[in-house]
Amino acid sequence: MTTPAIETEGLSKRYGETVALERLDLSVSRGEVFGFLGPNGAGKSTTINLLLNYAKPTEGTASVLGYDPWNEVVECHRRVGILPDRYDTYDGLSARRHLQLVRDTKRATDDPEALLERVGLADAVDQPAGEFSQGMEQRLALAMSLVGEPDLLVLDEPFTGLDPHGVALVRDVVAAEAERGATVFFSSHVLGQVQVVCDRVGILHRGRLVDVGSLADLRSKLDLGDDATVEDVFVDLTADSVRSGEGVR
Amino acid sequence: MALPRWFPLARNEARILLTSKGPWALAALLVLWAYRPSYIAWDGLGPDMTVGFVQTTATIVLPLGALLLSYRSIVGERRSGSLKFVLGLPLTRTDVLVGKVLGRSVGIAVPVTVSASALGLIGLVRFGLFSPLRFLAVLLATHLYVLVLVSLATAVSAVTTSTVRATGVVFGVVFLVLTVFWKLIASRIYSAVSGQAANPYDAPADGLLFALLRVSPDRSYRVLTNWILGVGNSGASYDAVITKLQTPTSISVFVVEAAFETTPVPFYLHEVTGFVVLVVWLVVPLGVARYLFERGDLV
Repeated sequence: MTTPAIETEGLSKRYGETVALERLDLSVSRGEVFGFLGPNGAGKSTTINLLLNYAKPTEGTASVLGYDPWNEVVECHRRVGILPDRYDTYDGLSARRHLQLVRDTKRATDDPEALLERVGLADAVDQPAGEFSQGMEQRLALAMSLVGEPDLLVLDEPFTGLDPHGVALVRDVVAAEAERGATVFFSSHVLGQVQVVCDRVGILHRGRLVDVGSLADLRSKLDLGDDATVEDVFVDLTADSVRSGEGVR
Repeated sequence: MALPRWFPLARNEARILLTSKGPWALAALLVLWAYRPSYIAWDGLGPDMTVGFVQTTATIVLPLGALLLSYRSIVGERRSGSLKFVLGLPLTRTDVLVGKVLGRSVGIAVPVTVSASALGLIGLVRFGLFSPLRFLAVLLATHLYVLVLVSLATAVSAVTTSTVRATGVVFGVVFLVLTVFWKLIASRIYSAVSGQAANPYDAPADGLLFALLRVSPDRSYRVLTNWILGVGNSGASYDAVITKLQTPTSISVFVVEAAFETTPVPFYLHEVTGFVVLVVWLVVPLGVARYLFERGDLV
């Protein structure tokens, strides 16, 4: 068996007294579409920041595609596609230039125009990103994450700023990438989008992983009906952890 | 040979600068600022006065411009979030620093070269053929100085979390202390340490004073370029050095030859120290920044 796409053990991040992430044990298999859910401030972005070497952990270990995410950044990022949250593009550079930067650094051979066409920006190839709407910017960022056929896609809140067409596009892209064999790890607080695309979800609340499993697993475990949505599961799990306070797991 | 990993990032940085107005406005300003023919410079240098113009570009205007164009390169992207794309690339954080510094430096060195060429052309037409070797050597020294300035600003940019603090350190320390007021500050430090006055009209023949004076990148750049021009061993501008050596008491300028008339000049005041000091300013702050930047949280 190959190494998991993502594996963490006791991964923790504290800022002074504030606990952003507490002893996260998580394993995401190759080829899986994994949804990382939780309200704002639950620790989703903290986890992603740690996995992408934007931040260093206080404690714990992690491996991304079998690499140490903090000491083997080059090898690791060459195979990872990243759509960050709360980013900004370069106002003066065209969409094409953005993709060329990623392609050339990854030593990939993708055609920028083909990638932009895939995300519905075929008309804006040479337009400066400074003129883009929020939705267009998000599509550009999605295209940047697809450069070089990554083995792992990390999408942080990919539905942000998108209209229904954009949301459908992200879902299609995730499905196509999974079909190709890529692992997709994404975070979201927009729960409705998640059940359509995910094999498994992990629910994070107040820096702790509350539960992990397929939606069906979680439903049966929580004794919810078959028509229970991810919202119901989510509310049930996080309400429980609110009641019992610390130490759910 | 494969290109280094940071090359696309550096090219991107250079492109961002070269497709914006700032560097070209700087280029125009440098020509207007540095074209200063004078009888004293002509007496001292002849047609090589034109090479002196290139040195003048690096006084005040170029440091200010280079710092302005690079002090936000990392802290600004950290605030806006575009740094997340860069950090998501297959690059170490050190690669990111190197790519930023080299790319920005090229983005400034190109307009500087254009200004120098314009000055060279004007000088060629008006004052005749200058030494092309000296011209090239001073231009290269100017590029080194640009690299030092960009590296200093990027180092500060990489280790601060607020744009305001970066602005304060870059303009308060690098520009005001090390560039504009260093002569005054070095003189004060010297007086405090030695108990002797540092009178620039009649400077003491003390190696400590002159060593302190060339600690700043600005003055060491001029020590190096005055050496290339052959006007004298000093961190002052070439025309001030020429004036000083002709009429020593007329001008408040520190020149080694004027102070050490009867005593031997210490070896550490050799003009090559200008180059050494620049290299130290290039390597040390960036090295410290690299150490901190590799370890910190960047979001």
